[in-house]
Amino acid sequence: MKIVSGLVGLLLGALVGLGSALAAAGMVGPGVSLGGKIEVQHWTSDWTIGSSAANPWTRARVARHGLLALTRAEAVYFTRNTDDAGDRLTETCDYRVRGGALPAQWWSVTLYNSESYLPDNTDNALSYDLTDAAATVDPAAWSFVVSPVSSASGEGWVSSRGAGNFDLTLRLYKPQDDLIADPERVLQAPSIEKLGCGAAN
Amino acid sequence: MRFPVIGLSAFVIAIAAAHFAVLNALPGYIMDKARARFADAGLPPHTWQMGPRVTPQTQTIVRPSPDLAYGVCLIDLTGGPVTLNVPTWPEYGSLSVFDANTDNVYAGSLDARLPDAPGALTIIVALPDHEVAPVDGVTVVRVEQPEALALVRRLAPSQGLYDAAAALMPASSCGPG
Repeated sequence: MKIVSGLVGLLLGALVGLGSALAAAGMVGPGVSLGGKIEVQHWTSDWTIGSSAANPWTRARVARHGLLALTRAEAVYFTRNTDDAGDRLTETCDYRVRGGALPAQWWSVTLYNSESYLPDNTDNALSYDLTDAAATVDPAAWSFVVSPVSSASGEGWVSSRGAGNFDLTLRLYKPQDDLIADPERVLQAPSIEKLGCGAAN
Repeated sequence: MRFPVIGLSAFVIAIAAAHFAVLNALPGYIMDKARARFADAGLPPHTWQMGPRVTPQTQTIVRPSPDLAYGVCLIDLTGGPVTLNVPTWPEYGSLSVFDANTDNVYAGSLDARLPDAPGALTIIVALPDHEVAPVDGVTVVRVEQPEALALVRRLAPSQGLYDAAAALMPASSCGPG
């Protein structure tokens, strides 16, 4: 009976350990972030991404959801999946993203579906970046609309068509040193205002 | 009463062992799959290949940036060190190396606007026991396992810039030496 009890315990434990590891890494579900997490105005990042200093949970989750990510000296990545009201970003709603000057040599905001892939559409409107902002009247006060249909106003547009629930990733390439040192103080992160949902938009 | 204690102890130990074994193996497994995907697409080791312009239809890895032009080279160090030489770029650009465990072990700028930017960036990737003679201006990147992957990113948000980045590929090298 002792042997049977031990074997049953080992088997069940191995299954639970396997499942919890896959869940933590985001192989099943979004994964979990343990340690090193940075949050600035609802945008989250992890300064250990890409680094050998990353803990096993971060390394596994990034391998699944952000393979080939660069270390913070080269680029930092912030992700957000809720609007300013705290509601989940979803294809059935429209949003306006607003921001200003960002502390990096170049930046972009890109939309990904819940599987971390670009949404399957052919709208050629997958991201908004510094190049787009620089072409506006006031590059220090840029904005764009996230919607499954093109903005008639001529405002910048990122398409959420086919995305389902999605997130936005803010990439900051060659970030300034003060951003790395004190992100909560230095980064004025973009806001995400919900404009409306459903057919009544 | 001792039977449940033995079973419970085995349960707890097995959870921890399986959890960390799987967690530590996953990055290497995912990197292997990524390398295999490139190889299956016809990319041999030590050859720079430009990825197609990133769209939902061409994406092969998670979270690609549609604003960047990517070039990739699969590195195999079993035959000795590998030297990479990549031209700089008039906008943001980087050359990075990832080890078999997905760690970003090197990232260098390809931005030609930076002061003292060379016309091309040269690095040598080697295992810890490889002997590499020091060369001025050349960084030696050490990795623990023979399999590595080099990636070039160049800011190219338009078709014209993507084409210009693609035109630099023949001038890039990735090979033993």
